[in-house]
Amino acid sequence: MNEEWKEAKREYESVQLPPELDARLRTGIAQGRKKSAFRRFVRRSGGTVAACLALLVVALNTNPAFAAAAAEVPVVGQLCQVLTVRSFDWEENGLVVHVHQPAIEDDSPLSQQINQEIQERVDAHVAEMEQIWKEYRESFLKTGGTEEEWNDRTMEVDVSYEIKSQSEERLSFVVTLSQNAFNYSQTQDFYNIDLKEYRNITLEELLGEGWVERCNQSIQEQIAQRQESESFDYYFPADQGGFTAVDENTSFYIRSDGVAVVVFPKYAIAAGAAGVQEFPIE
Amino acid sequence: MAGKHETVLTEYLVSNQAVFYRLALSYLHDREDAMDAVQSAACKALEQAHQLREPGAVRTWFYRILVNECMDRLRARKRVVLIPPEALDAGSYEDPLPSDGSLARRVDALPPEIQTVIKLRFYEELSLAEIAEVTGWKLNTVKSRLYGGLKKLRVSMEGEER
Repeated sequence: MNEEWKEAKREYESVQLPPELDARLRTGIAQGRKKSAFRRFVRRSGGTVAACLALLVVALNTNPAFAAAAAEVPVVGQLCQVLTVRSFDWEENGLVVHVHQPAIEDDSPLSQQINQEIQERVDAHVAEMEQIWKEYRESFLKTGGTEEEWNDRTMEVDVSYEIKSQSEERLSFVVTLSQNAFNYSQTQDFYNIDLKEYRNITLEELLGEGWVERCNQSIQEQIAQRQESESFDYYFPADQGGFTAVDENTSFYIRSDGVAVVVFPKYAIAAGAAGVQEFPIE
Repeated sequence: MAGKHETVLTEYLVSNQAVFYRLALSYLHDREDAMDAVQSAACKALEQAHQLREPGAVRTWFYRILVNECMDRLRARKRVVLIPPEALDAGSYEDPLPSDGSLARRVDALPPEIQTVIKLRFYEELSLAEIAEVTGWKLNTVKSRLYGGLKKLRVSMEGEER
């Protein structure tokens, strides 16, 4: 090979390797192994497992008695788990990114859709923050700031998740996307899934008929209690953006004892100092 | 049997990760994207480990998965443009190529198909037949892409006449 190509190859090979590369590669290997093990299992069982699963779905959907009996079948629940599919930390020009992104590990359309949604949300969140930070840095330098002064600046971008509760029937977890560029802000996405039928659980089915009234009353009582126990009142009045009523878009998660907990983000119904507001509906 | 292939494959992937990352990065010019590509290629490889008949062919077999993964990502990007402006040197949308810049930079500015052939030939030192295997293109296509690329790069082909 001639000198010019040797030089090009050297340049090509001089790329710095990210420290998290090894972990990412091994995650990929582990994911692939799992998928292939499942596939082998299906193949070895001559497709009977797939057939059983298909039958199970049909039976669950058509026969309430069978659905009730299937609740005793442990394997259905065990097949499902939430795991970290992407985990990385990096830092560049003061932008510090920590991501622990979850996914539900099964092939149901709902899980796939949720995984896809999480993936998109995480990517968009990181990309948006990168953009904001880059623009901030550019205008900082353009308006007379020096590299040295810039070095004191950092922004943390964080993605994490927490499993609120998990049983064979239900899964409830929250994904938190946050950033502290100029002041801290976060968004939380709650996922409550019925693992028997693979659909989203609603507050209505947890609380039954009259769920709106039940929630409203309970929340108002809890607000009143908190106003009394704290020396001052964080809550906005109802006519000034305070709590009025829950609806089907209200966020919630399911506590491990099965109680639904309604969640309002910071600033939604109370001053920022009060933080995220949670109301268990017992 | 599948277990043995998995072991061979895992060892190969772990010990050559630098090579894969560099190759992915040279397509995607973004470290996150490059790591994503390596991760999903590894996942796909393990998932399809049973299709690997000949453990000796693991190199070309995995390059194929990785190159496809990178090309798919490039294609997807055409719909959602994510390339930061500084990664877009004039060479990536102008033809003929600027004669300035190092050879490695000019290679990165070639159309993806031609890049693939050049990189596999000169950086990864695969034979033309192996490149045909990796890309799934006919040997003649590989040859014409290689020579077309070299012509664009205006470099000599000393010792590359086979």
